[in-house]
Amino acid sequence: MNELIVIFIGMALINNFIIVRFLGLCPFFGVSKHLGSALSMGAAVTIVMTISALAAWLIEAYILIPFDIEYMYIVMFILVIATLVQIIELFIKKTNAQLYFAFGIYLPLITTNCAVLGITLINRIEGFSLSGSVVAALGAGAGFTLILAMMSGIREKLETANTPKSMRGLPVAFLIATLLGLAFSGFGGMI
Amino acid sequence: MIPIGALIGIGLVAGLIIYLVYIKVPQKVKGLEKTEELNAILPGTNCGACGKPGCFGYAQALTHDPDLVTKTPCALVLQDAERLEQLEKALGMTLDVEAMHKKALVHCNGNSETIYQYSGVDTCKGAAQLLSGYKRCPYACLGLEDCVKVCPVDAIFTDPEKKIVVVNREKCTGCGLCVAECPLNLIELVPADTKIAFLCSYKPLRDIPGREKCEYACTHCRKCFKACEDEAIEWDKAKAVPQIIQDKCTLCGKCIEVCEQHTLADFTKARKEAELVPTP
Repeated sequence: MNELIVIFIGMALINNFIIVRFLGLCPFFGVSKHLGSALSMGAAVTIVMTISALAAWLIEAYILIPFDIEYMYIVMFILVIATLVQIIELFIKKTNAQLYFAFGIYLPLITTNCAVLGITLINRIEGFSLSGSVVAALGAGAGFTLILAMMSGIREKLETANTPKSMRGLPVAFLIATLLGLAFSGFGGMI
Repeated sequence: MIPIGALIGIGLVAGLIIYLVYIKVPQKVKGLEKTEELNAILPGTNCGACGKPGCFGYAQALTHDPDLVTKTPCALVLQDAERLEQLEKALGMTLDVEAMHKKALVHCNGNSETIYQYSGVDTCKGAAQLLSGYKRCPYACLGLEDCVKVCPVDAIFTDPEKKIVVVNREKCTGCGLCVAECPLNLIELVPADTKIAFLCSYKPLRDIPGREKCEYACTHCRKCFKACEDEAIEWDKAKAVPQIIQDKCTLCGKCIEVCEQHTLADFTKARKEAELVPTP
């Protein structure tokens, strides 16, 4: 139990995917303009991460290792992730069409999101057990959502400020990401 | 052989799962067709004045609740006869357009003097945080153009002498975006057939603004109330301001002549001074 908590906090805060590992930056800059869509994107990525971490571990344990085809892991993981994103896309398109249009291209981009492939690879490298992998994925998703929420809150407030015209939008977002990175580096070495 | 087999096997299983999800999920969501039909009729400006996040959001809301078009109509559709007709046909409703037309009115005609030099965030919202603005009257328009920036049809402009904003009544579509922007709540949506506008927002009773806050404010002298022969002006004792009953007004103009503070104005004349102000 202790170990699971350590894994969770490690993935969420200390080795945060966006701010410390620099994975999954595409939706970070693309969908972080409104709090609503940022939280929805965070939720979608968390779901994809968790289920793909689970499926990846099962495939690795019961298909790749027994048949001695470990080197196929990257292709298999990508297959799993693509399937999951396709399923989520179907769900979102049919149940909440407005959210689907709000995400735009960023929803299918979760397939190629390095954070999602990243969590499966990191689980493999760290050698986590099944529960460890799932908890790690949940932690990664939680950290991802947290950073997206913070960024969207800051960006919404930034709309009322007098940013120089050439810096509006993406440039100042990069500066904010830098400051967030500085802040989160304070967590370094905690575990 | 084995790796290829494993890959194909997992691929087939994945495909099967997707197919199962696809047939389980409701096929043609009936709402979406109607929504896309309505979305094609809407102007696509995505101004957000209706309160929904863009035209597609409004189309979705209309699909669920067609009555929304009378409660919060799309101001741009109201102005466009062709779109209006298409919308009426699509929703199966007839709309009483005349009753729904609204225009924005800035309730400030003042030339309040500046009491301090403001050099903070260059928006009305920022300036309004400090003592309700840098003019003597706390209900004065600051003229920092928050509303001007937000207007989707460029119907608001700044009067350079008095440093207040004025709405060009002809261009205004009554969408209401400026109403939400103003931090001092000076802008109001009034019916398009309003005849006389009262242009002062000063609220406290004991202070008589005309003598202290600005030269164009209401002094509660009641001359307009006495001058009106059609009984179209009533004196609101609680607020100590004239209340104009637009239906009885015949636009004789006596109240406007009699008011020494120039607080009443003829609303039917569109302020076209925008043509005199150079466009930036």
